[in-house]
Amino acid sequence: MRNKPIWRTMAVLLALALVAAACGGDDSADTTTTTSGPAATTTTAADATTTTAAEPMVCEATVGFMGPITGPVAFIGEVQLNWFKYAVDTFNSDMGYDFGIAEFDTQFDAAQASTLAAQVLDNSAIVGIVGPAGSDQVDAAGAVFEAGDPNLTFISPSSTRVGITAKYNGLFRTVGTDDDQGPTTADLIISQGGTKVFMIDDQSSYSTGLADSTQAALEAGNVEVIRESVSQDITDFSALVSNIPDDADFVYLPWQIAANGQILANQMAEQGKDAVIVGSDGMDSDDFSTPGSFILSFVADISAFPQSADLLAGYLAQYPNTNTFGPPVFVATQVILEAIDRVCAAGEVPSRASVLAEVRNTDLADSIIGQPISFTPEGNMVVSQWYVFQIQEDGSKVGFVG
Amino acid sequence: MEFFLQQTVNGLTLGSVYALLALGYSMVYGVLKLLNFAHGEVYMFGAFAGYGVLTILGGSSALVVPVWLAIVLMFVAAMATSSAIGVALERFAYRPLRNSTRIAPLISAIGASFFLQASALLLFTANSRTYNTPQLIQIETGIPFGPIRVWMVRLLVIASAALLMVLLTLWVNRTKTGKAVRAVSFDREAAAMMGIDVDKVIVIVFLIGSALAGIGGVMVGLVFGRIFHLMGFVAGLKAFTAAVVGGIGSIPGAMLGGLLIGFAEAYTTGYISSTFQNLIVFGLLILVLLVRPSGLLGRPELVKV
Repeated sequence: MRNKPIWRTMAVLLALALVAAACGGDDSADTTTTTSGPAATTTTAADATTTTAAEPMVCEATVGFMGPITGPVAFIGEVQLNWFKYAVDTFNSDMGYDFGIAEFDTQFDAAQASTLAAQVLDNSAIVGIVGPAGSDQVDAAGAVFEAGDPNLTFISPSSTRVGITAKYNGLFRTVGTDDDQGPTTADLIISQGGTKVFMIDDQSSYSTGLADSTQAALEAGNVEVIRESVSQDITDFSALVSNIPDDADFVYLPWQIAANGQILANQMAEQGKDAVIVGSDGMDSDDFSTPGSFILSFVADISAFPQSADLLAGYLAQYPNTNTFGPPVFVATQVILEAIDRVCAAGEVPSRASVLAEVRNTDLADSIIGQPISFTPEGNMVVSQWYVFQIQEDGSKVGFVG
Repeated sequence: MEFFLQQTVNGLTLGSVYALLALGYSMVYGVLKLLNFAHGEVYMFGAFAGYGVLTILGGSSALVVPVWLAIVLMFVAAMATSSAIGVALERFAYRPLRNSTRIAPLISAIGASFFLQASALLLFTANSRTYNTPQLIQIETGIPFGPIRVWMVRLLVIASAALLMVLLTLWVNRTKTGKAVRAVSFDREAAAMMGIDVDKVIVIVFLIGSALAGIGGVMVGLVFGRIFHLMGFVAGLKAFTAAVVGGIGSIPGAMLGGLLIGFAEAYTTGYISSTFQNLIVFGLLILVLLVRPSGLLGRPELVKV
């Protein structure tokens, strides 16, 4: 009985420690900048609502979001979902609609995506989907959509696997493909004088596919490639780091968990390995901040585009953080909502088929990601670009022109 | 030689963490014949408790106390948190099922594991955290061992794990409570008839096993950096394998098994390929079980017929 106060004190201390762990900034939030200029955007949105509130709401539809809201890459899904909600809210507000949303958490799992795809098909109100995020989930959901209703539009904001859009009638994407990313990476390494590259894929189809295309381009440029493979479930890469030859110029990481890239970088420093790290788009996160490293990205720094500044500020006023996985979601949502708008403007009730037809007609001269948006017959972007950033001593990233 | 030494240090570090975790599996199995599948999550909560203390103290870049004190406090918080969770698991998830069928507590353990994972997801979100240890202890700090230099944090992990294992061995072999644990492990009913408070012994076993897991969590955070809500699954699986290889129920066996798995992973990655790491580790498990079904240091179970 005398020990009770001790236990109580200990329990309070433990609770405090866990609360601190919960409240302690996560990796992605650590260096996120919040701006103080959203007031103008908020006012604009409110004005738009007021202006259009009197117009009759004849256009109704639901747009779905499929992404890894929980699971191993929830940091991607969380930001994607936030940008999706932000896009729908913005368009509802600006255009006077009341489009509904439906969320589907794939957990970054193909089987889950397949199950959810069947649920999407059952909901006839859904005329388009933003997502899924990963190519495996796109493939799994795509097979269900193709069999159940090939007229359902689904636009992936982050799937980069080559050839996937050709398989599904309703699939589009708002990012470039790996057959561009691999050669871009190889060009970067060759332009930097690389002669030997240590390449580590993460055993996922995203990573192995990208590693294959990069390896082929490097070997075509007479660069020696040493290939290894490691699961992203582990966080100790020291044994692998020991295998990096001292004369390797670059270590290429086509990974999706940037924090693991930082661990590998730390372990390289520990063992005196000074090769420069080149990371794929999956490594484009504040979790990876090793100075001198290069990062590929399917999106430029949108804060550099004047036309995107207000939208970004408006987003950051509502949501705590962002990363490069967010803006392509905004574009994907915009494409679907504007397609619905065009269907309604033509006096039709939005259906999956009519929305798909209008998505194919998409022709945006500019977008939040700083490039025009239109699609090839297969569903890829007509103009897609990869960007190279180099991490600076202070952890910031600057566009790199080699 | 340099390469071999480096891989040995890599394996020793990883093996030390596995060994600490494996001890929890082995001790609980020893007294309850239960595979505590939630043990990996207990370790995960320890890692987060350590991170919480680090955050309270200003974070790795702006620490308000000396580094050594911060690390000690992180270990203490992790031990306390993990112990509390371990004891709660025993009280609410396992004890009510102690006299049930053998499969019931196993299912309860799996359920507890998912419950703790989901709780961590709600509490900490899915975003990973990093200890940023190089900001606490510079990577350049280390002690040369022949041609290689070993980072201070690795030395801390290896030395702490060794010390804890020695202390645990002494406690089990030299103290009255340790003797009670051995008695319960040998024959729970007979121990109860001899006046040993079996419930108390089981609670102590969960308390100590979980505390070791908590320390392991902080060690992983310190030496490898990243912690996240699913980190307990793979680590728990490897530690469970270590416990089985060493002989589940045997404390020295858990230590040996942990180190063996650590070395197997490091040497496989170094001399064969990281692609085959898990293949070799689990192949080793199968091989050991084929040759010695009770594990390297385990005792064959005698069954009265």
